[in-house]
Amino acid sequence: MQSFDDKLSSILLKVEKPARYVGGEWNTPDMTKERKGDFCFCFPEVYEIGMSNLGVAILYDIINKEPDFVAERCYAPWGDMGEEMKKNSIPLFSLETRKPLKDFTVVGFSVGFELLYTNVLYMFDLAGIPFRAKDRDESYPIILAGGPCSVNPAPFADFFDVIVCGEGEVADLEILKIVADGREKGLSKVEILERIKGVQGAYVPSLHKNGEKVVKAVIPDFENAPYPEHPLVPNIEAVHDRATVELYRGCASGCRFCQAGFWYRPIRERSAERCANLAKEMVKSAGFDEISLCSLSTSDYTGLEELEGELSAFCREKNVNLSLPSLRISSFKPEMAKDVKKNSLTFAPEAGTQRLRDVINKNVSEEEIEKIAVAFEAGYESIKLYFMMGLPTETDEDLDGIVEICKKLKWLYYQKRHKRGLNISVSCAVFIPKPCTPFQWEAQISLEEMHRRQMYLREKLRAVKGVSFSYHGAETSVLEGALARGDDKLSVVIEKAYALGAKFDCWTEHFKWDVWQRAFKECGLDMPDYTGAIDTEKPLPWDFIDTGVNKKYLLAQRALAYSAVTTKNCREGCNGCGANKLGRCTIC
Amino acid sequence: MLVLKYEKTGRACFISHIDLLKHTARTIRRAEIPVKFSNGYSPHALLFFSAPLALGVSSKAEYLAIDADMSKDELLARYNASCAEGLKASKVFECEKNPNLQGKIVCCDYVFPTAYRPIDLSNGFEIEYAKKGEIVKEEVSGKIFGAFDVDGKLVLRLATGNTNLRPDRLLPTLNDMFGEDMSTTSIVKVAQYFKQEDGLVEADEYLKILETGV
Repeated sequence: MQSFDDKLSSILLKVEKPARYVGGEWNTPDMTKERKGDFCFCFPEVYEIGMSNLGVAILYDIINKEPDFVAERCYAPWGDMGEEMKKNSIPLFSLETRKPLKDFTVVGFSVGFELLYTNVLYMFDLAGIPFRAKDRDESYPIILAGGPCSVNPAPFADFFDVIVCGEGEVADLEILKIVADGREKGLSKVEILERIKGVQGAYVPSLHKNGEKVVKAVIPDFENAPYPEHPLVPNIEAVHDRATVELYRGCASGCRFCQAGFWYRPIRERSAERCANLAKEMVKSAGFDEISLCSLSTSDYTGLEELEGELSAFCREKNVNLSLPSLRISSFKPEMAKDVKKNSLTFAPEAGTQRLRDVINKNVSEEEIEKIAVAFEAGYESIKLYFMMGLPTETDEDLDGIVEICKKLKWLYYQKRHKRGLNISVSCAVFIPKPCTPFQWEAQISLEEMHRRQMYLREKLRAVKGVSFSYHGAETSVLEGALARGDDKLSVVIEKAYALGAKFDCWTEHFKWDVWQRAFKECGLDMPDYTGAIDTEKPLPWDFIDTGVNKKYLLAQRALAYSAVTTKNCREGCNGCGANKLGRCTIC
Repeated sequence: MLVLKYEKTGRACFISHIDLLKHTARTIRRAEIPVKFSNGYSPHALLFFSAPLALGVSSKAEYLAIDADMSKDELLARYNASCAEGLKASKVFECEKNPNLQGKIVCCDYVFPTAYRPIDLSNGFEIEYAKKGEIVKEEVSGKIFGAFDVDGKLVLRLATGNTNLRPDRLLPTLNDMFGEDMSTTSIVKVAQYFKQEDGLVEADEYLKILETGV
């Protein structure tokens, strides 16, 4: 009989990018140590995307630093590999030791985006794991979900034994220890789940009682929290293939559409000294040629200048490039760009007019947009602008405002550089009302209206030379909207869509709109019922999660939005959202 | 200029050449090897590789020229301490100038996992293989430099560089001829050859001559 490795080798050459499936990355932790229990981190996307995920890297590192526990990884095999695995009866396995998922103590899925739900089922399917938690007996691992989608776990709660709401740094390891210990003592699945229920952030759908609250998990000491200073080095080029240092968690801006900005509160900064040390250690241990300073709004970071000072000599000496994503126009200073390659500058005004920016609380004024001139002086010749369309109260005038901004930037460029040739790329997403934001009750514009506004803006921008325009798929935005605020009825729809052939929904070439429409219809549900306006009095599927920010605050923010009144940045003083009851905001 | 001889075995044989370039640059950075960088807008480490190896084929004889000033022993030790599984180096040569690995190496020896038998090229040798989903026929007798018996195994010397012949592309034809089921992952490259006026010189030997001048 062919050995597993031989069987695998023979199919690896039939598939695209076989290095996705072989493991053996540099900095792989010791996999030979005695293990009391093991955790397989699953990311429901391909290797290149999964390997770029900082959250998984942090959690993987924490468990592997423990003396008796091991974490391994698994990513969604691309379609060709999935087919070969099924054909050859190879169950989904971990990259490190090629162990079938089914044999782990705990399997944890990082669910970062609504359009990944079918891929979770795809991975269950390849692993030979029944989709519904109730259909899995003691012989299966305890299966968790975590990540940004735990904001509203209702649509996928039936698939998981436990959902970790909030930050997994403490919870994941604690749960792994409970399961390993419970298994050793011969406890039943229910007994183990009862013990897991006591972990902060752990939502156990099968044991959850009406009216019970789950308090979002928040790590208390962000400054000293463990960090993967010896990160895995991807076998093939990953989407974010560099040393990433997380400067702080949370965001002080309070943009009313932004889920991350509310979900990751309280705001906790890491000192510039620790960030610099982490960056240097990561470059040394992994050999990356780029450092990325990552946060929700990097130019707001208190220690940015100090950090750049600490890193600039190091970067020059080691030929390492420093990149600053997530800049805000209002806090851009030319000094920041001094050691950065001047390829292209990215800014996100989000809306075209001051009125609409006030509605969404994106505190970017016209004068501040004019400040981009400073970047032109600093040498930038190309700029990327991010906008959203379909925001509450938006009219065509607001879309015209996007065109005006482009014209203004071209004029500013000409003033400063005395030449034409500024490249502007405008990227326009569709607004999706997300749970735990002041806009969680808002309606999403209809599919037809999305198409109309996209065409409207495309035509208007066509008249401006040097501007390229790209926009998100309207259909995927509708689906994302429906799933984001979905209830537990949607688990059947997700199963149906998968059975009808939906997977890799994030990939334009794989997204099957007709399948999703059919899935909703066959389950007797209507997508627009989920994307329409929600009465503020109505209970919401995610109400049971205590994120720290209370509903009253969100409603007050919503009222301010409708009167186009802005709220100050948290750095200028506390706005009293309530998040600091879960941990101290380090900026106030 | 230092030339490293390294292997590409095990899991590493699934890493494509393009990815290998990045991998190696990172290994060099981790090892703190003082490699020189190009000038210009995007400086890159001055590393020069021998010709790409077909995906899935292993090798005991890959070469990499590194523009760095350091001792051979230190390079070998530092590189090996920082390199991933399956890419370990076995030797280092020192030469004054860039040996132009891609330009001057013309053929390589590959061990096939089958008993040696002579291969008749006198009437041409046509192979059939799949390329981007289509079956391609190609006359390759001019690209096969010879068949040898090494410890009873079949070793083929195949053209590399501008007139390249990938060993895995011979497999369907050889499997048919011999009634075997050899797989790409069982082929191993064992030697590379530089072209000299008086014939072929094995790469280790050639680099030794460059190093010592004899």
